[in-house]
Amino acid sequence: MQILHIMRKRIVIAFIIISMSASLPALDINFPEIKGFKIHTDYPVYVPDNLWDFINGAADGYLALGFVDLHVAEYKKGKEVIKLEIYRHSDPVMAFGIYASERSPSFRFMDLGAQGYMADGAINFFKANYYVKIRTYSKKVKTNQAAESLAVKVASMLEGESELPSVLSLFPEEGRKHNEETFINESVLGHNFLNKAFKVPYEVGPDVFFVYILQTASPKESRKTVETYLASAEVATVDNKDKYMLNDGYNGTVFLAWKQNKIVLIQGLDKDKSGLAEKYFSLILK
Amino acid sequence: MAASPVLGSVVSPLQERSIIYRTLGKTGLKVPVVSFGVMRSDNPGLCKAAYENGITLFDTANGYQNGNNEIMLGNFFKDYPRDSFILATKVKPAGTSREGKPGNETTAEDFLSKFNTSLSRLKMDYVDILYVHDISNTDMLEFKPIINAVKKLKKDGKVRYIGFSTHRNEHVVIDAAASQKTWDVILTSYNFRHGSLNELNEAIGKAAAAGIGIVAMKTLAGGGFLDKEKTRPINTTAALKWVLSNPDVCTTIPGMTAFDHLELNLKVMADINFTEQEKNDLIAISSDPGLYCIGCNNCVDSCPMNLPVPDLMRAYMYTYGYANPAMAKSLLAELQVSSDPCRNCDTCSVTCSRNFNIKEKIADVTRLVNIPAEFLA
Repeated sequence: MQILHIMRKRIVIAFIIISMSASLPALDINFPEIKGFKIHTDYPVYVPDNLWDFINGAADGYLALGFVDLHVAEYKKGKEVIKLEIYRHSDPVMAFGIYASERSPSFRFMDLGAQGYMADGAINFFKANYYVKIRTYSKKVKTNQAAESLAVKVASMLEGESELPSVLSLFPEEGRKHNEETFINESVLGHNFLNKAFKVPYEVGPDVFFVYILQTASPKESRKTVETYLASAEVATVDNKDKYMLNDGYNGTVFLAWKQNKIVLIQGLDKDKSGLAEKYFSLILK
Repeated sequence: MAASPVLGSVVSPLQERSIIYRTLGKTGLKVPVVSFGVMRSDNPGLCKAAYENGITLFDTANGYQNGNNEIMLGNFFKDYPRDSFILATKVKPAGTSREGKPGNETTAEDFLSKFNTSLSRLKMDYVDILYVHDISNTDMLEFKPIINAVKKLKKDGKVRYIGFSTHRNEHVVIDAAASQKTWDVILTSYNFRHGSLNELNEAIGKAAAAGIGIVAMKTLAGGGFLDKEKTRPINTTAALKWVLSNPDVCTTIPGMTAFDHLELNLKVMADINFTEQEKNDLIAISSDPGLYCIGCNNCVDSCPMNLPVPDLMRAYMYTYGYANPAMAKSLLAELQVSSDPCRNCDTCSVTCSRNFNIKEKIADVTRLVNIPAEFLA
């Protein structure tokens, strides 16, 4: 009987949402409980139209990475407060993108979701298309333990895979700076025709540089993107040539290689480092 | 500027362009009318292009990208003379309520700790402008722990000028701040679609007359498009020029992540006169109602049935914007409205500044009243 009631309720909710809303279906969140704390859900569900009201100018970064909605709850016990924010993005790559943009390699990383960390009273992690932020200003050990416990419960509650984006495995290990990988959804290197790139910093001997991998929908799209980029730098496209070096204005020298639906860019190396660039191209596009 | 495939073909070399400067209130700083909202840029190349093309004021915040934005700017500016740029950052007091009032966790200790972290990330001994981030309540303007903390930072030389940023209840806090002697600069949201434009213009005028430098943000009204499908782009230069048509606004901080954004903004930096196209686009976008109520409250008292129209429009937004009909139903219950509150009116006499069909929207949302709450929870 109870199951029937729940099923009926879910069907009605789905019907109401589909018939009344032009937005994505609402997220049905049951905030987990923590012993001794009372849950307050006084905040509205934030959507792209009003995210500014909650995080001010930082909202632009979230909106650029497929922000869908934000659910907020506060856990209170006397003067002790733990704040939970669950950001839903359009897909796991976007969630990784916003998570990574706020990550620092100096944080204490935890086995939480796909990846998480703890820093100065904050516990942040991402899982599937969710980015979760938990924060307390309390110095009390018990409250901080409760925040950790909450993080584990939320990670368990959220559906989806706990995996880093698979593209990250394509980046070579030599010189790679771990936990500094990012995802740029729009305007890679400031160009509106270069989009959706994973970026990893490297340090090899005296050379500090960045490797970008862009995945396109097809080899045809790769070719078109490469041609546009080369044309912007006044470099002629040559048939059957898949590696170039270009002077990209304020970005300096950029090495470029492409194969099928992948474009690799290396920025930060001097012009005479084509050998090093070649080595990374070979490892990535093998 | 050396010939460059980026910017070079579109923007004239710096020495050939006349940049429009305005004085930032009593600070005496002369700033170009366009500055750089760095908030989501991770590209030092773009900062370099902006700097070398005459932009001098760069705006960031302690919280942007969890500090990575300040780190990027710190690494970029470490090679440039400190007096060749103006760095503004913001620190948000902890623990404020949703109404913007200070709470138990709103302490000077926390604020100063965050500020010192910002200085460290920026690799600087001082910042030119420190904003108290996000003041929307006059209680915060008078909250001594934070006010005394920023004053002390200024006295100690860690901050040259102090200000605050605001993007809710702006006209109220700006009006109140204009009567205080604390503030050098105010960063406010300001655009052609602002809900309380007359009041905001008045408050800005009062603050400017008091010597407070006004910086505008959110100049694109919260996004570059008029629709959610992103098919109807806003003419960004028209929107920016509209803001700068108010002489009390000293500079603007449009966010930029691409060289083409920069190119457009650099043109505005040298010429704020509207083109015919910009005039036409501005008229078109100004008359676009958008989807949701902007809270101007012009409709209050215009309903013969005394319906709380702004609140009903809020319920409409909860339903269709947030996809949260339970929240809307809860609000409707609080307002004690029926499922068909407009049944006695053949025509609607409510005047809406956005020209919404109020009767239709009220009907769309109040039908939730008849749906059992258990199906929405």
